[in-house]
Amino acid sequence: MANGEVEILYVEDDDADVELTLIALEEFRIANAIHVARDGVEALDFLFSRGPHSNRSFSLPKFVLLDLKLPKISGLEVLQAIRNDERTRTVPVVVLTSSKEQVDMIDSYKLGVNSYIQKPVDFEQFQKTIRQLGLYWLVVNQAPPMYSPSTA
Amino acid sequence: MDKITQVKSGVSYKRTRSHRLGILLLLSAVWFLHVATVLMAEQANEFQVKAAYLYNFGKFVEWPAGVPASQGDSFVVCVLGTDPFGSTLDSTFSNERIKGKNVLARRISKPADATSCRILFISSSESPRLKEILAAVDKAGVLTVSDIPQFSRVGGMIQFVVDGSKVRFEINRARAEGAGLTVSSELLKVASVVRVNP
Amino acid sequence: MNMLVSAGALLLAGGALYAYDMVSLRQSLVSNLSIEAEIIGATSSSALLFNDPNSARRTLSVLNESPHITAAVIFGIDGKPFASYFRNPPTALPPKPVFKDSDTQTYSFGRNQIAFARLVAFEGKPIGTVYMESDLGDMRDRLERYAEILIAVMLMSLMAALVISSFSRRSISVPIVHLAEVAIAVSRNKDYSVRATSSEKRGELAVLIHAFNRMLDQIQLHQEDARRAHDELDHRVRERTAQLAAANKELESFSYSVSHDLRAPLRHIDGFSAMLVQSYGNQLDANGQKYLQRIREGAKHMGQLVDDLLNMARLGRQDVVRRQTDANLLVKNAISNLQSEYEGRQIDWRVTDLPVMDCDPGLMKQVFINLLSNAVKYTRRTQQAVIEIGRSPENENVIYIRDNGAGFEQQYAHKLFAVFQRLHRAEDFEGTGVGLATVDRIIRKHGGRIWAQGEVNRGATFFFTLSPSGDIVTELNHG
Repeated sequence: MANGEVEILYVEDDDADVELTLIALEEFRIANAIHVARDGVEALDFLFSRGPHSNRSFSLPKFVLLDLKLPKISGLEVLQAIRNDERTRTVPVVVLTSSKEQVDMIDSYKLGVNSYIQKPVDFEQFQKTIRQLGLYWLVVNQAPPMYSPSTA
Repeated sequence: MDKITQVKSGVSYKRTRSHRLGILLLLSAVWFLHVATVLMAEQANEFQVKAAYLYNFGKFVEWPAGVPASQGDSFVVCVLGTDPFGSTLDSTFSNERIKGKNVLARRISKPADATSCRILFISSSESPRLKEILAAVDKAGVLTVSDIPQFSRVGGMIQFVVDGSKVRFEINRARAEGAGLTVSSELLKVASVVRVNP
Repeated sequence: MNMLVSAGALLLAGGALYAYDMVSLRQSLVSNLSIEAEIIGATSSSALLFNDPNSARRTLSVLNESPHITAAVIFGIDGKPFASYFRNPPTALPPKPVFKDSDTQTYSFGRNQIAFARLVAFEGKPIGTVYMESDLGDMRDRLERYAEILIAVMLMSLMAALVISSFSRRSISVPIVHLAEVAIAVSRNKDYSVRATSSEKRGELAVLIHAFNRMLDQIQLHQEDARRAHDELDHRVRERTAQLAAANKELESFSYSVSHDLRAPLRHIDGFSAMLVQSYGNQLDANGQKYLQRIREGAKHMGQLVDDLLNMARLGRQDVVRRQTDANLLVKNAISNLQSEYEGRQIDWRVTDLPVMDCDPGLMKQVFINLLSNAVKYTRRTQQAVIEIGRSPENENVIYIRDNGAGFEQQYAHKLFAVFQRLHRAEDFEGTGVGLATVDRIIRKHGGRIWAQGEVNRGATFFFTLSPSGDIVTELNHG
């Protein structure tokens, strides 16, 4: 883990959910490398190194953990923005949502989400899911390389 | 008639004298009897017919009203003289009516009685006093009938004439009309002779 | 056809007239002969009475003047011929006439002649008989002429009828036929805009046609009214449908937000309770731990309820879109969906040949999932769990799912499909009481029905059938 590099960009507005998720991710010991954005605007600002995060050197996280129900701009809009920009198009996005609605899932996939996970209510299940998720996307999966115009 | 002729000719053949005579006599007697019977029958027939005719005359002759007045409910047919009819007349007239009255047969002997008759039959026995009788009944409205020959020429009204087996009659119309009697043309039609001279 | 009837009628009338004429002619002939005989009798009375055949003969000779009298004989009262007259020399003497009872005359009609006899009476008493023969020439001539006239009249009547009928056809039947054709065309094509035409302005026919056309006016008016009403109804239906769609949409967005909003707090409750137990559990006594456990269970249960309710609502809103669906595939999918529920257990799945169903595959999959999930759940305590799915041998339109698990009390069977109704205690078997209600709802949406039989600790069988409209259509040939 390189210093300053973010492993996970976690976009979630509910702090209780944030807390539970971070507890579940504890075993990966990457607490310092998880950036939590509390809304879609902050998420994009961070990702594109603009606004309050303009002095951050541009780098893609290993994956983006995205909740759909966000204030200001919705999770799907964030997803769309990510996919629309060349620089961020390749970053894996995993939607983590409490919705069981088909339409959310379909729309997400249409916009190019890599994975769609429903948050179980049961905490044990929740922990298990997060563990699997983390294992897969942090360890198993090969994250795409950083964007550079030459590799585009 | 034929029978008589037949019987007559059947007898002419000969046998033994005495037998023949006896049989001849017998046969003659039988024949005579037969002829007599026939004649009598004929005679009887003749007068039966005449009686019927007498009765029928009454139907074809009209008497003037009131003649004869004294007869009441009977239509009197008289026979003057020897009655040649016998019971035939009565039997012919029984239950018969002429002009609505009962027919009565009466035998009279006197011409004067004849005025009460409607029809008077003058028997041939009266032929000698014919004139007298006719005078008596003249204008009395009596129909005079007789079978005396020449009756209708000598003043009688109806005369019977036997012609063969038929009974015919002659009518002196003028005589009858002279007495006020009207003789129906129907009767005149069937008369053998109609005299118009009185 | 009419002509035939008219001709027949005329013939009948003509025949009747002819017959009547013949009869009356005969009667008048007889009456004439009677008078003649009477006169002859009267005229011959004296001849008979006074036995004068000549006179009688003379009387009879007058008959020479009568062209039709062919013979006349006067018989005496003894029955013997008295006098006779023959126009032509006779072949035989006529017989003595016989009178019936108290008749005074008798007659008989031969082919060409009539023989007539009458008693002659003089002053009430019979005195003889007059017998006369007359030919029928006169009568025949008359009848012939009569027949000729009749036939002529009949023919003329027929011709007149022909002329009149052809005229009436033109002025009566043709317009009527036209009217009939218009009526037939109108009712066949349902085109109420046509009208019948009338060549005349007056008369009964014109009135009829006018009335007919007015009637069509009315029908057209009503038709338009009906159309207008229909359109209005249509519009209203569309409005209502739109309203319903809007209401549905509201409901959808409601359940959408609910599915988000309710779950998150539940998750938090459960999550932090778990953390409590994890991190501080050793500081709590048994009761404390028990309370935390209860909290977690409550949260979990509520989560399940929310899920199930939302599911049921979603399925209830959904339209049934029927397709030919292989039930075997559905069952297979359902079983694999439930794998996590029976993980680690040995279940004897006995699936017999199921048919192709005309149903909504998504909804029916849910039915099988719910029913099989129950079967799996309630056989949890059974040593050798057997779950059968197949077609009922009694009725091939009925599918059954049988398990040999905990079963239920049959007397409460009617409560099985009610929402939130459970026949088991929560500590024995968890559940929300919504699964079967959902299944019931789906099957009823298909127009079918579901029922169950159960025995405590012996197992339960659930039977269902879909609507008769192509329910179980054909067997799929498994190649």
